[in-house]
Amino acid sequence: MSSGTITLTSSDEVDITVDRAVAERSVLIKNMLEDLGDSGEAIPIPNVNEAVLKKVIAWCEQHKNDPASANDDDDNRRKTTDIDEWDQKFMQVDQEMLFEIILAANYLDIKALLDVGCKTVANMIKGKSPEEIRKTFNIQNDFTPEEEDQIRRENEWAEDR
Amino acid sequence: MSDTPENRFAQQTLTPAATVGPSANADSNRSPPRKGSDTQTLEERARQNVASFLTKYQPRQYAPLRSQINTAAEHRPVNASYCYRHQPDSKCRRQADEQSMTRLQSDLDTLPQSDQQGIAHVWSLFSAAPAKQRTLMLQGILAQCCFPQLSYISASVRELIRIDFLAALPPELSFKILRYLDTASLCRAAQVSRRWNALADDDVVWHRMCEQHIRRKCNKCGWGLPLLDRKRLREAKREIELRATNWGHNQPAGGSTENTINESCSTVEAPVGGKRKVESDDQSTALTKRHCASPAQALEEDESYFKTRYRPWKDVYRDRFVVGMNWKHKRCSVKVFKGHRDSVMCLQFEDNILMTGSYDATIKIWDTDTGEELRTLRGHTAGVRCLQFDDTKLITGSLDRSIRVWNWRTGECISKYNGHTEAVIALHFDCTLLASASVDRTVKIWNFKDKSTFVLPHPEGVNAVKIDTPSRTVLTACDDGAARLWDLDTKTCIRLFHNHIGAVQQVIALPREIELESHLADCENDHVSTSSQNGDAVNILSPILEAKSLSIQPSSFGSSFDQEESRLEPPRYIITSGVDATIRLWETSTGRCLRTFFGHLEGIWALSADTLRIASGGMDRMVKIWDPRVPTCQDTFEGHSAAVNCIGLSDSRFITGGDDYHVRMYDFRAS
Repeated sequence: MSSGTITLTSSDEVDITVDRAVAERSVLIKNMLEDLGDSGEAIPIPNVNEAVLKKVIAWCEQHKNDPASANDDDDNRRKTTDIDEWDQKFMQVDQEMLFEIILAANYLDIKALLDVGCKTVANMIKGKSPEEIRKTFNIQNDFTPEEEDQIRRENEWAEDR
Repeated sequence: MSDTPENRFAQQTLTPAATVGPSANADSNRSPPRKGSDTQTLEERARQNVASFLTKYQPRQYAPLRSQINTAAEHRPVNASYCYRHQPDSKCRRQADEQSMTRLQSDLDTLPQSDQQGIAHVWSLFSAAPAKQRTLMLQGILAQCCFPQLSYISASVRELIRIDFLAALPPELSFKILRYLDTASLCRAAQVSRRWNALADDDVVWHRMCEQHIRRKCNKCGWGLPLLDRKRLREAKREIELRATNWGHNQPAGGSTENTINESCSTVEAPVGGKRKVESDDQSTALTKRHCASPAQALEEDESYFKTRYRPWKDVYRDRFVVGMNWKHKRCSVKVFKGHRDSVMCLQFEDNILMTGSYDATIKIWDTDTGEELRTLRGHTAGVRCLQFDDTKLITGSLDRSIRVWNWRTGECISKYNGHTEAVIALHFDCTLLASASVDRTVKIWNFKDKSTFVLPHPEGVNAVKIDTPSRTVLTACDDGAARLWDLDTKTCIRLFHNHIGAVQQVIALPREIELESHLADCENDHVSTSSQNGDAVNILSPILEAKSLSIQPSSFGSSFDQEESRLEPPRYIITSGVDATIRLWETSTGRCLRTFFGHLEGIWALSADTLRIASGGMDRMVKIWDPRVPTCQDTFEGHSAAVNCIGLSDSRFITGGDDYHVRMYDFRAS
C-alpha cells in the first residue's frame, strides 16, 4: 500500500526520517498522508520535540507489526495494568519524558502507546498511601487537617479488612 | 508571600547589575589578592553580558526562582520563544522548593562577596536565556563536569523531575490513568489533594468501575453489582463520556450543579410507597427495576430512573463493595423470626416484606426491617409447602392438595383450586402461567388468561418446578432421581438430567447473564467458548443478542427454538440438589453434568442462586454458600437446630426456614 520513508520535523526543528509504515502507527500522520498524499515534504510535528519524537518513533518501530488495535471499547472491561516486557523497559524514563510521551501519544493518536503510558503512571500510583503518592509526584497536600481527616474517613471502606 | 526566603534570595542574587555594583566594589578588598583585578573585569564583563541578555530575553518569564526583576521586564511585549512546556499558563512550571532555596541561600552567604557576585551572574545569565540557549549552557556545563559531579546531578535530577500528572495532563487523560486503578488505590488517590480528589471521585471513573462489576463477579475483588440497573448504566454511558471530555469546562470541580439538583431526590434505592414488584424469577435479584412492565409500571420505572441517575456512582459502588466485603468476611447481622408452631417449609422476600409458609397450616407476613409479624393468613387445612407473591397476590400450595390465591395486603383468600389429587409441593408463576408440582406425579400448568390447564406427567412425585417464560419451557425435579426440561408448546420433555442418586429436591436455572465459560475450562463448550472471546461485552449487556447468536447453529432443543424470533433458548445452566447431599450444575444444551458440589452431609432441601452465588440448606442444619465458578464450598452458616427446609437469597441477604420452627435472616448490608 505505502512504502518508502517520510520526514517529520520536530518542534525544535529537527528533521527525522522514518519508514512510512512506522510513522503510520500514528493515526494523525496516517490520516494526514491519506488526505494530503505524500508530497515528499517534511511533516511538521509542532507539539513534540526531538528527544520525545525519537522515543516515540522507537516505540513505533518496535510495534510496527502489531495487529491493528481493537476498537475503543475493548479496554472497557479488561483493565489490567500488565505491560509487556519491552514496553516496561521502554517506559523506564524520568517523569518528564513519560509525561511528554503520553502527551505525544495523545496528540499523534497512537492509542496503544497512550495506553502503555497511562498504565505506567497508574502502576506508579497503585498500592501507595496518599502520602507516598504525594512524594512520588511532588504534590502539595492542600487539604486542611479537618478536610483530610474527613476524606480519609470517607474512603476507609475501600481498605479490604 | 513577598517575604518568603526565595524572594529575598531572588532579589539579592538577580537584581540588575546597577544596584549590585557598589557593594561588590566594597567587598573586593576582602577578596584574596590574587583574584583582585580579575574579578573586577570579569564582573564588568558579566554585567554587560547579563544586561544585554536581560534586555534581549525578558528574564521575567524564564525565572525559575520566581524572581522579581519585574521593573525591567514589566512593560515589554511578550516574547514568543518560550519552550512550549513553559508557557506562562502551563501547569508544568516547577514550583520553587522553599527548603532547598533556604539552604542555597545560606550556602551562598558563606562565600566571599565576589564569589557570590560571580555565581549570581551565572544564574541570572541562565535564568535570562531562552530554552535553546539554556540547553547549550547545560551541555557546556555537563561537558566540564567530572564523574562525581555528574553523579551528583543524576541523583538530584531524579529527585527534581516529579510531575503531578493528574494536575498537568488534560482531564480525559487523567481519567484514563485513574481507570486503571483498583478500588483501594482510587480511594487513596482521592486523598492526595483537592485536584486528585475531584478527579478520583468523579462519576467518569466510578461509572466505569460499576460497569466492570455489573451482574458478574469481578475476578480480582470477588464481588458483583447485582442490584444495578443495566439500563441505567448503559444510558449514563454517553453522558459520562461527554463528561470525561468536557470535564473542568462546564463545572468547577465535580459537577456541583448536578449535585444541587439531586439533593432533593437523592434517596432512591428505597422502594416507593409500599409498592412491591416481583421478579419473573424469584431467585434473581434486581427486584426494584426489572419486572414484567405494564404501562403504568414502566412510567414509574422511568421516574425512578430519573431520580436515581444522579446518585454518585462512587456511592453506588461503595454500597455494593461493602456488601461484597461483608460476604467475603462473613460479617452479617442475624435476625430470628419466631412465631410458627411447626416446621417452616417455604419463604420468599422482597425488600422488607417476608412471607413464610409452615406445616402449622399458616402463612405469616413479616417486616424484615422491624422484625414485626404483620399478618397471619389462615385457610389451608394442612401444612403449607410452597408460596410465591408479587405486588398484589400471593399463591400458596398445601398438603391439603389445594392451591389458594390471596390478596396479601388485605389477608383475604380470593380463590381456591383443587386440581391435584395429592399434596402440592411446589409452585411457580410468571406472567400468565402458573405451574404446580404435586406428589400425585404431575406438574399442572394453569393459564390465567384463557383458564386452560394441562398436565406434564412424571413417573413419581414432583418436588420442584420453575417456569422460564422467554423460552416457554419449564424445569421440574422428580423423586425418580431426574430433573427435566419441558417444552410448553409441545408439552414434551426435551431434556433429561439424570445423575443424582435418589430424589431430586430442587431445580433452578442460573441467570442467563452468568459467565461460567472461563471457569469451566475442563468442559468443552464448543459454541460457547468461541463467542466468549470478543463477544464478551455484548453478551453481558444483551443476553437476547447472545442467545440469538448462539442459535445460528441449529438449536439443540429443537427447530421451534430456531424459527421464532421472540423465543429464547432455555437458560444455559441449571442447578439441582438432591437427597444424595450434592448440588449439580448442568448444561442444558447437552444435558451434561458439568460439576458436582460436595459438602453437605445429608439431603439438600433448599437451594437458591443468583449471578454471584448459590445458597443451599438441608437436613444437616447447615447453610452453605457456593460460587458456581468454584468447586469448593465458600462458607458455612450454622444456626438452625434442625433441618433447613427453605432458603431465599438476594445480593445482600439470605433467609432460611427450618424444622426448628424458626426463620433466620442473615443480613450482609452495612449496619
